[in-house]
Amino acid sequence: MPTVVSPVRAPVHVLAEAVADPTTGAAPRSVTSLVLETQEPVFRGHYPGFPIFPGVCLIECVHRSCLTTAPGTPRAVLTLAAVESTRFLGAVFPGDRIVIESTWTAISDGWRVTARIRGDRGDVAAVRLRYHTGEAG
Amino acid sequence: MTSTWTVAHRLPHRYPMLLVDRVVTAVPGSEIVALKAVTTNEPWYAEVSGDARDGDLAYPAVLLMESWAQSAGILAASRSSDGDPLSGDVMLFGGATEVRFLHPVLPGDVLEHRVRVVRLLSDTMIFEGECLVAGRPVMTVERMVMAFRPAQTLRPAPSTTSDSGSPAGTQED
Amino acid sequence: MASTETVLDKEDLRATVAQVVEVDVDEIHDDTSLVDDLGVDSLMALEVVVVLEKKYGVRMTESELKQVTSLQRAYDLLAAKLRTP
Repeated sequence: MPTVVSPVRAPVHVLAEAVADPTTGAAPRSVTSLVLETQEPVFRGHYPGFPIFPGVCLIECVHRSCLTTAPGTPRAVLTLAAVESTRFLGAVFPGDRIVIESTWTAISDGWRVTARIRGDRGDVAAVRLRYHTGEAG
Repeated sequence: MTSTWTVAHRLPHRYPMLLVDRVVTAVPGSEIVALKAVTTNEPWYAEVSGDARDGDLAYPAVLLMESWAQSAGILAASRSSDGDPLSGDVMLFGGATEVRFLHPVLPGDVLEHRVRVVRLLSDTMIFEGECLVAGRPVMTVERMVMAFRPAQTLRPAPSTTSDSGSPAGTQED
Repeated sequence: MASTETVLDKEDLRATVAQVVEVDVDEIHDDTSLVDDLGVDSLMALEVVVVLEKKYGVRMTESELKQVTSLQRAYDLLAAKLRTP
């Protein structure tokens, strides 16, 4: 059930769940995609006459992807503890489709997720998030 | 006490992404304290059903970041005198490092953003600071980078994949 | 003011640069170009220098900032700054 309260309306399409590969022992990697239609509410005010998808909403797309593909059965309940780092590399415009590749690394009381976002015209952003598992502090 | 007019005058952002209500104090090029009231009347709460629990009403963490960044943006915009935020330059969120979310924020809370300039350059600014609710830190920002870039450098090159000539939504002004 | 580092140790400097640029420390040789070799964009290159300014308690002019394109350049500039406060 995607979080109800979010500045991004677009649904998260799961292309690959975050499943650890027992043979290689590689960290779980999930892949998702979203299409950011012109009707996304944020475009109206960001900015009038010059719609450009806000950087923080790219972080939200990674966050929503993480909530949707979190490892574990049942799926882990994740609380966003920090945006460890984020770099914005290219702009996203109405109608663009973005693909998010996230690598999950277990840390003491949760997960660190390193995500790369690519858009229609190449790299868009690099985002690293830190999650606690369990309810918010 | 600076009026909301100044906020809208300083920033190109508009509803629903104008996330600063009032500037309390500002020392141009140095620091700012600004307020934003969180309400269920924001579009992100539109689909919340009547039986939503308190925890479901937590304000999106990324919007805490955006609201804080816009307070920093007002500080940055105070450097350019012409005031028209979109006159040639667009203020872009360049990046952030170690933004921590300490406690959930709920409708009814008033965000008090405290932003300090770490470094001020001709086309880039670096900030640090925190966001308080009722005097308690709910978010801390180790570093945020904002860049001023000419608006036209951001126009999308006609994307090869889409068949239509110029991508939807971009006006040639 | 947080205590600033006055002793300039190149390995410590290498580790700090690697942390900001988010690469392995052994990828940063003395003359590795941050932009050309590591693909660091202008914003991140600037962040590296600002972090170093804060860590070593020195102040650089905008033009000096833009000269710091490798670890060696950062080391030389910091050394000069720390010698003549």
